[in-house]
Amino acid sequence: MKASTGAFAIWCGRLALFAGAAVLVAAPWLFRVTDIALLTEFLSLLTIAVMWNLVAGYADIVSVGQHAFVGIGAYAFFGFAVIARIDPFLAIPLAALVALLFAIPVMAIIFRLRAAYLAVGSWVVAETLMLAAGKLSAFGGGSGISMPVSVVRIFGAHPAERYATIYWIAFAVAALSLVSTWLLMRSRIGLGLTAIRDDEQGAGVVGVNLSGLRILCFLWAAPFLGLAGAVITLQKLRVAPPASFSIIDWTVYVIFIVVIGGIGSFEGPIIGTVIFFLIRSYLSEIGVWHFIILGVLSIAVVLVEPRGLWGLVRRFLPEDVIPITRRPPLPGRPTEQASRPAESIAHE
Amino acid sequence: MNGTPLLSVESLSVFYGHFRALDAVELSVGAGEIVSIIGANGAGKSSLMKAIVGQADRIEGRICLEGADLADRSTAEIAKAGVALVPEGRRLFSSLTVEENLRIGQEVGREGDIGFDDIYRMFPVLRERRRQLARQLSGGQQQMVAVGRALLANPKLLLCDEISLGLAPVVIGDLYEMLPKIRERGIGILVVEQDISRSLAVADRFYCLLEGRVNLSGRPAETSREIVARHYFGG
Amino acid sequence: MLGGWLNQIVQGVLLGGLYATFAMGLSLSVGIMRFVNIAHGDLIVLVSFLILTLTTTLGLSPLAAVLVTLPITFFGGYLLQRLLLQRVLGKGVLPIILVTFGLSIIVQNGLLGTYGADTRKVAGGSFETATLMLGGGVNVGVLPLTIFLSAIAMVVVLDFVLYRTRLGARIRAVSDDVAAADLIGLPSARIYATAMGIVGVTIAISAGFMSIWTNFDPTSGPSRLLVAFEAVVLGGLGSLWGTLAGGIIIGIAQVVGAQVDAAWQLLAGHLVFLAIFMLRPEGLFPKY
Repeated sequence: MKASTGAFAIWCGRLALFAGAAVLVAAPWLFRVTDIALLTEFLSLLTIAVMWNLVAGYADIVSVGQHAFVGIGAYAFFGFAVIARIDPFLAIPLAALVALLFAIPVMAIIFRLRAAYLAVGSWVVAETLMLAAGKLSAFGGGSGISMPVSVVRIFGAHPAERYATIYWIAFAVAALSLVSTWLLMRSRIGLGLTAIRDDEQGAGVVGVNLSGLRILCFLWAAPFLGLAGAVITLQKLRVAPPASFSIIDWTVYVIFIVVIGGIGSFEGPIIGTVIFFLIRSYLSEIGVWHFIILGVLSIAVVLVEPRGLWGLVRRFLPEDVIPITRRPPLPGRPTEQASRPAESIAHE
Repeated sequence: MNGTPLLSVESLSVFYGHFRALDAVELSVGAGEIVSIIGANGAGKSSLMKAIVGQADRIEGRICLEGADLADRSTAEIAKAGVALVPEGRRLFSSLTVEENLRIGQEVGREGDIGFDDIYRMFPVLRERRRQLARQLSGGQQQMVAVGRALLANPKLLLCDEISLGLAPVVIGDLYEMLPKIRERGIGILVVEQDISRSLAVADRFYCLLEGRVNLSGRPAETSREIVARHYFGG
Repeated sequence: MLGGWLNQIVQGVLLGGLYATFAMGLSLSVGIMRFVNIAHGDLIVLVSFLILTLTTTLGLSPLAAVLVTLPITFFGGYLLQRLLLQRVLGKGVLPIILVTFGLSIIVQNGLLGTYGADTRKVAGGSFETATLMLGGGVNVGVLPLTIFLSAIAMVVVLDFVLYRTRLGARIRAVSDDVAAADLIGLPSARIYATAMGIVGVTIAISAGFMSIWTNFDPTSGPSRLLVAFEAVVLGGLGSLWGTLAGGIIIGIAQVVGAQVDAAWQLLAGHLVFLAIFMLRPEGLFPKY
């Protein structure tokens, strides 16, 4: 009885996931332009959230500077499409490439800091890159610059058409990041990452290459963040240091999304992004208080259920809605639970 | 032993999560008595020590010092009540000087007549090295500081957890010679040790633990080595 | 020309004194509790607003206002550690970062809601503008000089407390091996909380200086955190004299950078930090 309700809930979850995906596919025909713009924003934020979760939730790189790569993507896209006059559709993947190239020196800097200090270190690097972007006169310096109409029109002569095009790009970016990261998590690499998430020292002992996985995840995330930056630039039609490198939009909100939704799970960022948009659309009129509510909520989550809302729900479910780790054979579980504490005693 | 023993442990079980590290253990230590706990790795010796100083995850049963239950007391309160631990692996504060380490022992303990001079008389080398950092000392000297730190707390009950671990035999001999002298002050001593012969030689009584249970207890002089060995390995 | 440069360096050193006071508390919490409080800068700004309120509504002098805030920030730090941070300490890197990050956002937006987004400053009177002419084109403001000397005094006092007092020995013991402290009955949670109370006192002092010398608004916290962090890392984790040196380096870099182009001030500070960090990741005076 109990097992069947659990299985039923799992299938309901999967059904909701597919229904959501179906709605997103049909969105341009279903919704008005303002809703399409909102959904575009949703998809960009979802992409960034999935990537922060990969980096912080699995690879244990607690960065608060990931907005740097969004900004780099934005500026690179603008540079290729507007200044270098390359085909804007080609400029989008090129922006991802530039973000990836920047990730290498950034990594060389912040990986020298021990874990506890990496967070602020990554913030310093992001701040430096933002200030440096403000020194680029071709990009309008500190006040930024708008995209010329000629480039904008390539994405659609009429606003409605353009919104639909940008929406499809955002959809493609989000789909690519979700599916490819899901495949990554299902591979042997994903098994190693799950081991890091659960117990870093233990993972090292069983032969998981910790630093290799951390490097892979950090480099994996950067191009997707760059793509998100390109989409965001298309939507805002301009680049400016504080907006393109916005710590509030691309890091603060994203951390709240992942923490509240459930860090270290694939479902968490998705749930978190949905909840975040609900909170924002209903509570944004209360101004600063919605930040305070998000802050209190995330602290409460860390204290009460570090695995977030999804962790809470997951307690009552027999398996993940989005399966990532191949399940061990059933008899394996009880022995594992019995033997672990015994080992920890023996270590004393 | 007449009246209330110094330490009495009554049907004590210790849990880590669902794992039961100790199962209904009964034992006692009298004032001025050396009691040895022997047992193989994982038998529950360290869990017993942790439980007495109030550092176990969850316990059932009673741990009483002079009849007063120690349950629900913090480690700091238990230390003030007169229980001092020489932890396994010494666990000195490595960037503090010898003197600072000893003073911390004095501060966490209770009032009493054991002072710095007593410790320096017991271990003269520590007086010479009192201004040095603990990490600059040899293993044997570090163990002296650990014992001194516990004694400066003026304990009624001294817990020694594997004090011979990783030390040269000569040094171990010196340390074990100190135990009867400490006993003369009326301090009860509970010794946990894997080195059976060493700890049985010095003990008034012993308990053997196997898989969390006491399977043998008695006086070393009255128990044959074969019986001890059989219970130690669980034959 | 040479005198002009010398003057810039002196101004940079003095600015570094202010940065060192920001960094002193962070250096303590990093050295003792091994975590970076992301809300550190926001707490400095929070106390600055408290000082602003005390001076404007009660008419207290800035000095009196700081003295009033000292016990408040001590107990504030104590309770913050005891009631919130202690719960996530020792559970890995992520929880403590997330909690202090959430706190940072709460403080910033609480201040925005209470005081609005305007830029503020506490009036310091004639003290603020008094200048000593040292000749050779070098002018030293009395206020910056006072702040710089106070920064040195803070290092001396904190070093004394840490290395010459019983409390200091206990703090260092818990910092060395918290599990051992717990085993032998040294109340680590209370000692950590006291250490955070001391951090609170340094926050009050730095907030007092900052509120007189520079403008601030509710979102000024992060930039203070970054400067403080850079000073701590440059100096070497856990070394208070190193933190002072780190603050001075950032101060000089910023003032000289601003001399090249006013807009380069912040960027110059960050770039110099990153360059030195890449050359000496362990800092100039590493302790651990």
